[in-house]
Amino acid sequence: MSKTNSIIAIIEAGIKAEALRQKAIANNVANLETPGYRRIDVKFEEFLAKSLDSSGSVDLSKLEPQIYRPRQTPVKSNGNDVTLENEVGEMIKNSLRYTTFIRLLNKKYRGIELAINVGAR
Amino acid sequence: MKVDNLFSPIDIAVSGLQAQGKHMEVISSNVANARTSDAGKGEPYRRLEAVFKSDDDLGGVELGEILPDMGEFLRVYDPSNPRADKEGYVAMPNINLPLEMMNLNIATRVYQANVAVLKRYQRMVETTLELLR
Repeated sequence: MSKTNSIIAIIEAGIKAEALRQKAIANNVANLETPGYRRIDVKFEEFLAKSLDSSGSVDLSKLEPQIYRPRQTPVKSNGNDVTLENEVGEMIKNSLRYTTFIRLLNKKYRGIELAINVGAR
Repeated sequence: MKVDNLFSPIDIAVSGLQAQGKHMEVISSNVANARTSDAGKGEPYRRLEAVFKSDDDLGGVELGEILPDMGEFLRVYDPSNPRADKEGYVAMPNINLPLEMMNLNIATRVYQANVAVLKRYQRMVETTLELLR
């Protein structure tokens, strides 16, 4: 079990998950008219909530994002349950989350850089 | 639908888009069948009406039911038509094309309005994210 307290590692896991979800959405849109296709999504937030313990440390091995089929959206007559509107909404949400993680990571690195520069002076 | 997170406005706007998409389907069925004198069951095509429904609280909209319009069929005088009755009238669907065009306009506008909400909310969240720069 590899537990970590590192914020950078957690944010990295989040970025990986959002990148994977972007692929899932692209796959859904590509299969918009494929008969019998059910949309896929990525499970990550649940894992994050579960693996965060009270000390704030996270077990990274349990944070691997997972692809699954929700099978909750109504099915069209060709057995397909992808709607373009839904995927666009998911894409917007995904990109906002992605931006959040990137900005947080950026901020973290800037803090480290600042600390380095103080020592160099 | 859950409405307790940052992204619920997006889910609500998407529900509006989906509902209007279905509404558009109903309207196009009505327009396509404006002159369908035989829709099975021995009567002409009956106009369909989309009924939207929503929970009491915040939670978006969905297409509840698609109900038939029980208004009277149009009677067109066409004695040479094989389906004409003794007086020479043919029953035609109870579809009023100008009304369908109005509904089409409304559906389009509502769809656009939902897209506008979606875009605006995206910009709002991006403004918040600017604080993280």
